[in-house]
Amino acid sequence: MTGLALDHLTKVFQDGTDEVVAVDDISLEIGDGEFLVVVGPSGCGKSTTLRMVAGLETVTRGEIRLGDRVINDEKPQNRDIAMVFQSYALYPHMSVRGNMSFGLEESTDMPDAEISERVEDVATMMGIGDLLDRKPTELSGGQQQRVALGRAIVRDPEVFLMDEPLSNLDAKLRSQMRTELQRLQEDLDVTTMYVTHDQTEAMTMGDRIAILDGGELQQIATPLECYHAPANRFVAGFIGEPSMNFLDMRVDGAALVSDEFTYPLGEAVRGSLGDATDVVLGVRPEAVAIRGETGGEHGYETVVDVVEPMGNENTVYLQFEGTAEPLVATTSGMRRITEGETVVAHIPEDAIHVFDAPTGHALHNRRIEDAERTDITLD
Amino acid sequence: MSDATASEPSAESEQESADPASRSRWWSVSASRVVLYGALLAIMGVFLVPIETGLVTSVKTNPTGVSETLPYLPPPPEYFTLEKWEQAFDRLARGMVNSALYSIPATVLSAFAGSLTAYGITQARWKERYKALLLALFVAGIFIPYQAVLVPLSRFWSTYAPLEDWLAVLWVIGIDNDYAGLVELSVTHIAYGIPICTVLFRSYYKNMSIEMVESARLDGASLRRVYRRIILPLSTPMFAVVLIYQFTQIWNDLLFALILVSSESSEAAPVTLILAGLGQSLEGADFPLRMAGAFIAALPTLAVYVMFGEEFAEGVAS
Repeated sequence: MTGLALDHLTKVFQDGTDEVVAVDDISLEIGDGEFLVVVGPSGCGKSTTLRMVAGLETVTRGEIRLGDRVINDEKPQNRDIAMVFQSYALYPHMSVRGNMSFGLEESTDMPDAEISERVEDVATMMGIGDLLDRKPTELSGGQQQRVALGRAIVRDPEVFLMDEPLSNLDAKLRSQMRTELQRLQEDLDVTTMYVTHDQTEAMTMGDRIAILDGGELQQIATPLECYHAPANRFVAGFIGEPSMNFLDMRVDGAALVSDEFTYPLGEAVRGSLGDATDVVLGVRPEAVAIRGETGGEHGYETVVDVVEPMGNENTVYLQFEGTAEPLVATTSGMRRITEGETVVAHIPEDAIHVFDAPTGHALHNRRIEDAERTDITLD
Repeated sequence: MSDATASEPSAESEQESADPASRSRWWSVSASRVVLYGALLAIMGVFLVPIETGLVTSVKTNPTGVSETLPYLPPPPEYFTLEKWEQAFDRLARGMVNSALYSIPATVLSAFAGSLTAYGITQARWKERYKALLLALFVAGIFIPYQAVLVPLSRFWSTYAPLEDWLAVLWVIGIDNDYAGLVELSVTHIAYGIPICTVLFRSYYKNMSIEMVESARLDGASLRRVYRRIILPLSTPMFAVVLIYQFTQIWNDLLFALILVSSESSEAAPVTLILAGLGQSLEGADFPLRMAGAFIAALPTLAVYVMFGEEFAEGVAS
C-alpha cells in the first residue's frame, strides 16, 4: 500500500486556439489507506483530476506520484490503479465472472485456479456470489454497481479511483451503498480517491475532503473543518444544507452595517477583520435562533415568508423589511411558526463567519470549540 | 362534482358510437386502409414481377416456349423443362468456384481491415485532427467510381505489380496462370472495400462506451488486447452487415473481372463473366438459360444473407 501525491498538477485543454484550464495547479497528498473525497460543482475539474491520475488524460504540468514513483508518463495499464466508473462500464458480452477475472487475466500471470478463487471470494464478500454466471444486462442497477466495485477490488490495486459511482442509483440504494462502501474501504484499507458532486457523500464518507471550484483547490480538510472553518465563501456555501446565509455588510467602527441592520462586533472578531471594509457576514441556518420578542444585541425583527416542514425540522425563510434576500433558519420540527408572522431572528456572535467581500477569503470563522459548546448546551 | 366529471366522458363516447356521423368515420378509416394496402400490394408486385418472370421463363423451352406461351405465366406442360437449369449449372459451376475463391477472402479481409482501422480512428488515442484527416480520406475513397480507376488498375497489375511473374512457382506445379487474375481481383476488392467498411465500423465504434474501453485499459489490457477481447466480440452485428454488403458487392462485380481476367473462356473466369456471355449466340439469346443462370449465380448472396440475417437486422438497427 502506498500514498498518492499530486504536485502542482495542471491540465490545459486546447479548444481550437483557446486554452481552457480545467485543472489549475492542484497540490494534495492522500495518505496510505486514506479515503479522500474530491467534491465540487460540475465542470470544476474533479473528474479531469481523477482521469489524470488514472492515466486517461495527459498531464500538462506538474507531477503525480504513487509512493516514490512518478507515474505521469506511465500507461494506464501499468499504474496498478483500479477505477470504478459512473456508468459501471461493465463488459456486456462477459458474465459477471468474466468481468471480474478480466483484470487479473490481463495484468497478472496468475494461474486460472487462483483467479477463480479470488473472484469467488470477492463476489461472496460483495454478496453477488450467486450471480457469477449472469450477464450484466440481467442484473439490476445495484447489482451492476456491486460487480463494478468487485471488479476493482479483486485486482487488489494500490489505489482505488471512483468517479461518481453512486449517482446512477436511486436515493435509498445510494445511502445504503454509501455506508457499505465506507465499511469496505475501511476493511480493505486501500488508498481511495472518490469524486462526487454530492456534498452528503463528501461529508459522510471521506476521511478528508478536497473542494474544487474552477479547477482550483479551495480547501482540503476533514469534513468537520470544512463545515465549521471554511477557507472561503465558496466552501462555506457549498458545504451544508440548506446552505449558509450570506449578508453583504460594511465595516463601520466596531460594527457591521448594512441597509437593513447593524451588527455590533466583539473585540476578538473585530480584531480578526483587520482593515477590510466590504465584508460578507455568514451564518448557518441552524445557528439562527427564532424568538418571539426582542432580546440581546443580535436580535432582529423579520417577517416569516415561507415555512418548509421537513418533519424533524422546519426550514424557515425570513425577510428583513424592505429586502428580497431571505435569511434562512432551521428550527425544530415541532415548533409552530406561521407564514406572515413577525419574529425575532437572533444571530449569535459566536456562530458567525466573516468573509472578505472582494476575495471571498475567510477573515473570521466560528471556532470548532464554540460549536461544540453550543451543542452541549442545547442538549 | 367529481362523480359528474368522471361520468361525462363515458356518456359522451357512448353517444358518439351510436351517432351515424361516427359510423361514416369508421368507413373513412377503413377506406384509407384499403388504399394503403392496395398501394403496398402494388409496390410488392413491382418488386416481385421481375423475379417471377425470371422464374417462369427459366423453365420454358427455347425458342418455342418463349415465343409461343404467355409472358408472366407458368408455361403449359408441353413447354416445361428443367433442362436449362442443368445446362446453366454445368456452365457456371467453374465460375462459382472461381468467384468463391476470391470473394470469400476479399470479403473477410476487407471487413477485418475495416474493423481494425475503425478501431484505430475511434478508440485509440492520438490527435483528433489526424483522425479526422484520415477519416476524410476514407470517405473520399468510398466515392471513387470503379470506372475512374480501370486504366490505372490494369497498369498497376501489369507494370508495377506483375503478379503473374511473382507467382511463377505456382504455374510450374500445374495451376493455370490465369489464376493470378483472381489474386489481383481479391487484393483490388480488399483495397476498394476498406473505406466503406471502415466508415461503417467507425460509426458503430463511436457509439460504444468509451468508459468501457478505458476500464479495460485500466484493467491492464493493451490496445491490441482490448480489440481482441472487448471490441471484436462486441462487433458481431456490424460484421454481419459488412460481410453481407461486401460479399454481394464483390460477388456481383463484373467490371474489375472484365479488366483483370477478361475472358470468359479463361480457366479462372468468375461467375459474372461467364454469366455475361451465357446463352448469347448468333441465333439469338437463349432467355430461359440466361434466367436460370442468373438465379444460380445469385444463390450464394442469398445464402449469405440468410446466414447472417438476424445479426444483420441488429447491426442495421444500432
